Amino acid sequence: MTANMTIEQQVRDAMIQVAEISDCQLVSEINNDTVLLQSGLDSLGFAMLVAQLEEDLGFDPFTQMAIAVYPSTFGDFVSIYQQYADQQQDGQ
Amino acid sequence: MTLSEALAQQLSESQAGALLTMAPEHPEQASNADLTETPYTQLLESANQLRALHTGLLGKALAIRYTSLCDFVTALLAFDGWCSALYLLPNDSCPSLPPDCMYLSDTETGNNQQMIKPTKPVHTRWYLATSGTTDKPRWIGHNLAGLTHSIKHSDRLSGLVWGLVYQPFRFAGLQVLLQALLTQTRLVDASSGDISARLQRLQKGRVTAISATPTLWRQLLVSGQLSSLQLTQLTLGGEIADQGILDALADVFPQARIRHIYASTEAGVGFAVSDGKAGFPKAWLDQGYDNIRFKVDQHQHLWIKPATLAQSGISGRVDQQGYLDSEDLVEIKADRVLFLGRATGAINVGGNKVHPQQVEQVLLTLPDVMQARVYGQSSSVIGQLVAAQIVAAQGVDTSALKKQLLKHCMQRLQRHQIPARVQFVDKIDSNAAGKISRSSTNE
Repeated sequence: MTANMTIEQQVRDAMIQVAEISDCQLVSEINNDTVLLQSGLDSLGFAMLVAQLEEDLGFDPFTQMAIAVYPSTFGDFVSIYQQYADQQQDGQ
Repeated sequence: MTLSEALAQQLSESQAGALLTMAPEHPEQASNADLTETPYTQLLESANQLRALHTGLLGKALAIRYTSLCDFVTALLAFDGWCSALYLLPNDSCPSLPPDCMYLSDTETGNNQQMIKPTKPVHTRWYLATSGTTDKPRWIGHNLAGLTHSIKHSDRLSGLVWGLVYQPFRFAGLQVLLQALLTQTRLVDASSGDISARLQRLQKGRVTAISATPTLWRQLLVSGQLSSLQLTQLTLGGEIADQGILDALADVFPQARIRHIYASTEAGVGFAVSDGKAGFPKAWLDQGYDNIRFKVDQHQHLWIKPATLAQSGISGRVDQQGYLDSEDLVEIKADRVLFLGRATGAINVGGNKVHPQQVEQVLLTLPDVMQARVYGQSSSVIGQLVAAQIVAAQGVDTSALKKQLLKHCMQRLQRHQIPARVQFVDKIDSNAAGKISRSSTNE
């Protein structure tokens, strides 16, 4: 069940899936300090990741934020999704 | 006036324009190396020498293959006004060249310093290739006057340092190159390499002006290092600029001039919107703007009436009042006219055009794919992504089919043409004429 998976795990799974179909090679270890642009995904791969997560989680924080705050590390990226997911829960 | 004459004329006005490029012998250390500065005066001298070595090219068609920015600019300076045509070869699929077209490598070299000016002026046609992702790349001819007519001169503009992030043999890159040359400003080459290497060069060269697609601007924002640049002029083109990217850039550069460009090559029209808002003011539909008139028809197509029509071949598509269908879809929202995409269904993936029919044809070659519909799905990262709806043959394992068709596409299409999203459906709606409806189902 996806509900039991942490957001971070879902992001990691989506990255692996997207890397395969976008023909990108992910770096061997991705941690919170990994710079997104050095994770192995290029802009197309990154776009596909955001689209995949929208399908999995039901939202895209980048279209829905009033002013886009752009994440530069993997940790920033996950926390933007986490914050958005928390806000949605609070709103329910 | 030729390009070298135009540059030489500017040089007299005591400015120090130069190209700042990577040292060509160590491209693999691109991110560490320092920038090499080549003054425009030196390029002009090299151009004279190059022409003297190839005087036999007078009046001939020449194909220029891009190797480095300095060599490229030198060749343009040498052979504009000397050759009848210059074909700027793209680095990917290239339209066929005329049979009499020559390369520098296969022309005789003789050193004829006496004969470096033609006895009568040669009007050179510049040919640029359309990007190879459309149906078929083709050559579009331009003359120098046309290529440079939008170049403006002012004290503010001549104080800029341009960063070149587009490929210089494409229209957008050539525009930036010519702008820098003819306003005698420094131009930093960041047209190749990964994003961090490019940023490093932009930083080292103290760039103050960049023209890029919204997709590249988003990448620069994601780098987290964009704010280390002291930009005063930001231009967005080649894709629809949405409010999000305009706001994000204004946030980083509150004092800068930020403008987004709309261009319709067919109508020969280009204009810049600089009020920081997406689209353009609705008032322009009534008042026009800069000698251009606009109207929107009941199918939401934007029609444009330029002061003069650029191409004679399109006269049949012009209505009685002189308006041309741009085939851009727009919507009017409050006081703005907003761009939605192409009426033809062409998908714009980060500035690369994808024709849905081409992708559909590839999908339909798989026996288990009964019907396919390809459309653009909007993306907050790259503008649009390719999405596909598939009607599979009965009883087929769709997850296996999805893997198979992605692999099939990878072998036959470029990366950005491969569907990022595949959805299996029971049926695909077609319109009354039996054609697949192409509008996005994203909403």
